Amino acid sequence: MHGLYSPYLHQNKSYMRKLFYAVLMLCASLSFPSCNMMEVHPYDAHVQGPQNLNETHIREIHEHLKERKSIRFAFISDTQRWYDETRDMVKDINLRGDVDFVIHGGDLSDFGATHEFILQRDIMLGFRMPWVALLGNHDCLGTGEDVFQTIWGKPNFHFQAGNVLFVCLNTNSLEYDYSEPVPDFAYLENLMKNLPEGVEKTIVVMHVPPFDLEFNNNVANVFQLYLKEFPGLLCCLNGHAHRYLVHEPFVDGIAYIQTPCAKSREYILFTIDEDGYEHEVIHF
Amino acid sequence: MVPLLCFHALNVMATSPVEIDDRYQRRIADYQSFWQSLMPTYTKLQYAGGMGWLNVGAGWAYGNNQQWETDVFLGFISRYTSDNAKLTLTLKQNFIPWRHEMTPTVSIEPLACGMYFNTVFSDEFWTKEPDRYPHGYYNFSTRVRTHISVGQRVRFLIPDKKRIFSRSITLFYEISTCDLYVVSAFTNRLSPEDYLRLSFGMKFDIF
Repeated sequence: MHGLYSPYLHQNKSYMRKLFYAVLMLCASLSFPSCNMMEVHPYDAHVQGPQNLNETHIREIHEHLKERKSIRFAFISDTQRWYDETRDMVKDINLRGDVDFVIHGGDLSDFGATHEFILQRDIMLGFRMPWVALLGNHDCLGTGEDVFQTIWGKPNFHFQAGNVLFVCLNTNSLEYDYSEPVPDFAYLENLMKNLPEGVEKTIVVMHVPPFDLEFNNNVANVFQLYLKEFPGLLCCLNGHAHRYLVHEPFVDGIAYIQTPCAKSREYILFTIDEDGYEHEVIHF
Repeated sequence: MVPLLCFHALNVMATSPVEIDDRYQRRIADYQSFWQSLMPTYTKLQYAGGMGWLNVGAGWAYGNNQQWETDVFLGFISRYTSDNAKLTLTLKQNFIPWRHEMTPTVSIEPLACGMYFNTVFSDEFWTKEPDRYPHGYYNFSTRVRTHISVGQRVRFLIPDKKRIFSRSITLFYEISTCDLYVVSAFTNRLSPEDYLRLSFGMKFDIF
C-alpha cells in the first residue's frame, strides 16, 4: 500500500498548498456575487429601478392636498455625496409626521455619475410623503442630466398643492452655454397662459438664484418681472450656495429663501396658510 | 547638408560591397527586432469594470517572470438612457506577484493588482473645464477616470497540437474602484456594492 501511495505522499505538501490556493480563490470569488457591482462605466447612464418620480409624486401631492388651505412642506437641497446626512434628514422629516411633501432643490450628485443619482434616489424613496427634485448644476455634468430626466423628469416643471402653484425652474445657465434657453421664458409664458384652476398663490423654486455666476444675469431683472406675473407670488426658494439666507435681491418685496446643504444637517420647514407663509430652519 | 552628403559618399566608396551588404542586413535585423519587440504578446476581452460594456485589448507581458503587464483597451458603452453610445480607451498596468502551477497545464495567479486610466470619446465630457467656468469651478475631469483593481486568475495551457492562435487562455475576475467612488466611500457609511465594481475577462497569450 505504501509503495502505491508513495508518489502522492511525496507531493503531499505541494498538493496541500494547491488546495489552499484553490479554496482561497473560490472563497474570494464567491464573496462578491452581486450583479449591481458589474458596472459598465461610472457615466453609463444605466438606470435600473423606479423612474419618472416627479410625475408620480406631483399627482399624489395634487390629489392629497386638494381643497387644503394650509400646507406644510420641507425644502431640502444640495445633498450630493452626503449620504449619511441625507439618510438622517429623511428619518427626521418622516418623524415629524406633519410634512405634506418635500422639495429637493437640486445637486443630488457631485460629479454627475450615474450611481450617485441612484444612491440618492434610493435613500429618498424612504420618504413617507411625496417628494420632487430639481436639477442642480452638478447634476448636469457628464451624462448627469440624462439620468436626472430618466429618474425624476423634465428640468422645468410645476405642480399644485392646494391653492398654491409651485413653479420649479432650471436656472443652471452656465452649464448650457446658450445651447438651450435657461431660464426658459417660453415655458413660463406657456404656464401663465394655461394656469391650473384654483391657483391663488405661487412659490417659485430654483437651484441657482439670480446674480449667482451660474445664472444668466443678463436676464435677471426680466426673469423677476416674469415671476411677478404669477398670481400671488409669495416668495422664491433656492439652494446652491450651501448656507441659509433670506434676502431680497431685487428689493421689491419678494424674498429669496436659500436652504442650507445636507452637510450642515439643516433643512427648512415651510407652513403656508390663509394668513401667509412661515419658515423655520430645522437642525437634525 | 552638402558636406554631410559628400562625407557619406566618401564613406560608401571606401567600403567594399560585402561590408555594405553586411551592414544593411544587420540594420534590417535590428529594425525588425525593434518592431518585433513592440508586438503585443497577448489579447484580452474584458466585461465591465468601469471601462465599457465589452473591452477588447492587446498588451505586453514583461519582466523576469512575466510579472508585469501593460494593456490597451477599446471599449463600448451602450446608449442606455443617454443620447449616444460611446467609445472608451483604457490604459492599464498590472502586476502579478505570484504564479502557482497546480498541474502541468493549469496554473493560478492568486493576486493581480492593476491601475488603469479610462477616457471617453464624447463631447459631453471634458478633461479640463471649458473656458466658460471660472478657474477651479469643478476641479475634476469628467472624462478621465483613474481606477485601481485587484483580481485573481486561472491559466490553462493549450496542448501543442491543439493550439490555433494562443498558447494559453487565462480566465480572470477583478474588483475595482475609481477616484469618484473612493472619495464617497471615505466620507460615508456605504456598502461595498456602492463603491466596488466587479468585472470578468479572458486573456489569450499569443506567444
